[in-house]
Amino acid sequence: MNCTDFQNEMSRYLDGDLEPQRAVEAGLHLGDCEPCARSFEEFSLMLDSCRGIEIDEEVPPNAEALWCRISNVIETESAAEKRIEQKAEPVRRWNFSFGQAFAAFAGIALVSSLLTVVAVRNYLEPAAEDMVTRSAETETTFERFLSRVGLSESPREARERRIREQQAAIDYWDKRVRARRAQWDQRMQQAFDRNLREIDQAVTEYTRTLEHNPDDSLSVEMLDAALNDKMNLLRQFSEL
Amino acid sequence: MTRSFFYIFTIGGQSGAAKVILTGVVFLLLVFAPFANGQRRFSRSFPANNDVRIELLNRSGTVTVEGWNRQEVNVSAFLEPPVAAIEPRVANGTIYINLVKDNQGRGEVGSVNFTVRVPFTSSVDIETLVGNLIVSNIRGGLLRAHITSEGDITLTNIGARAVSAQNGIGDIFYDGTITSGGSYRFQSVRGNINLRIPFSSSFKLVATAPSTRNISLGALANTNMSYAGDGRRVVGRVGDGSATISVTNQRGNISFISR
Repeated sequence: MNCTDFQNEMSRYLDGDLEPQRAVEAGLHLGDCEPCARSFEEFSLMLDSCRGIEIDEEVPPNAEALWCRISNVIETESAAEKRIEQKAEPVRRWNFSFGQAFAAFAGIALVSSLLTVVAVRNYLEPAAEDMVTRSAETETTFERFLSRVGLSESPREARERRIREQQAAIDYWDKRVRARRAQWDQRMQQAFDRNLREIDQAVTEYTRTLEHNPDDSLSVEMLDAALNDKMNLLRQFSEL
Repeated sequence: MTRSFFYIFTIGGQSGAAKVILTGVVFLLLVFAPFANGQRRFSRSFPANNDVRIELLNRSGTVTVEGWNRQEVNVSAFLEPPVAAIEPRVANGTIYINLVKDNQGRGEVGSVNFTVRVPFTSSVDIETLVGNLIVSNIRGGLLRAHITSEGDITLTNIGARAVSAQNGIGDIFYDGTITSGGSYRFQSVRGNINLRIPFSSSFKLVATAPSTRNISLGALANTNMSYAGDGRRVVGRVGDGSATISVTNQRGNISFISR
């Protein structure tokens, strides 16, 4: 028998309820194990002292009803105490100075704004029109701050990126047109060339204006429209 | 030819039979004169509801669309040689004619001049790479007339809720109403855009002519209009501004005429 078995069966051993063989094993363990022997001794003393107490009180005739009333009273009183405690509980106040409160508020606002911007920037591509209509004039202080810290594009960067994308599409369609234009009749070729020339002139005009005044939103918008026109012209004729 | 035609009838000595024969010959000459140079004719009719939609994409040639008071769409065309293939399709209440697709990779294809008659309330979407577009008497939901390169767009007696007209080199003329809540867009690279609209209508206007700065407002100048971008753009609102009119002419003029 090990210590755990003995501890489990100690009570039955004391009461003499164990099988003879098991009782012998328990006795042998007691002889070998000092901690178990000490526990056994203490437990035996406790039992002896309990056996010496006599209960003098009389049990009332309906004990269950009495306990039910007592528990009801206890419940009612404890509920009332809780209410009093809740009322009496002093309101916890954060004792911040105005400066601290303002700094905390500004910090939370800044962090949440940055997170929102980063999330939006990561998950949403800005619409093409936004890139066109954005300009230094319409840029807010916050947007300027974000572009300075590198979290968002400045209107000029957005515009340049958009132009690069449009130029890439134009190059693609232009290659297709070059491959096919030999098949067109002369009238088609002339009409195509005349229109392309007009659009290119418009593109040159707006590009020049923007070189002098990069924040001219109207020229930005018109340049975008002209590049779109060029893209459409090339795409439509490439399908012939 | 007209002179000789009448001369035949004034020949006193001719017998009645000779007159009939000569008249027949002249009639045949008149009827088949367009085909003398190899032109062919295409014609087809489609039963249609009032809200029918037609989508036509032409390669080159003039497209004329007229509204009429019949529950039918009639498409007729004169085809110049080398004759283009035309294969109309009908699906979900829309008639599709796409000459670019039908003749893709064919190289040289002759011009096709269409005349399309549709119920007044139809939606019309016509486009051509080269050529003129003429539309009249349409009061449907949508009217779109686009020319990829050059050609004039003429839209008369129009009452559509959404109108879009766009070309490269060429003029645009619009004569029609401005429906409350409607959207009207006119765009050209180089040409004159003339809009004849009721100035009593309610609309928001953005007119841009960046190169010429020539935006003639007519009587609209007396309304709540203001110039922006050094005179390159006019912005304003007439009435409650429920409709939207957007006009852009990259290298041409814009004029408004009261209807």
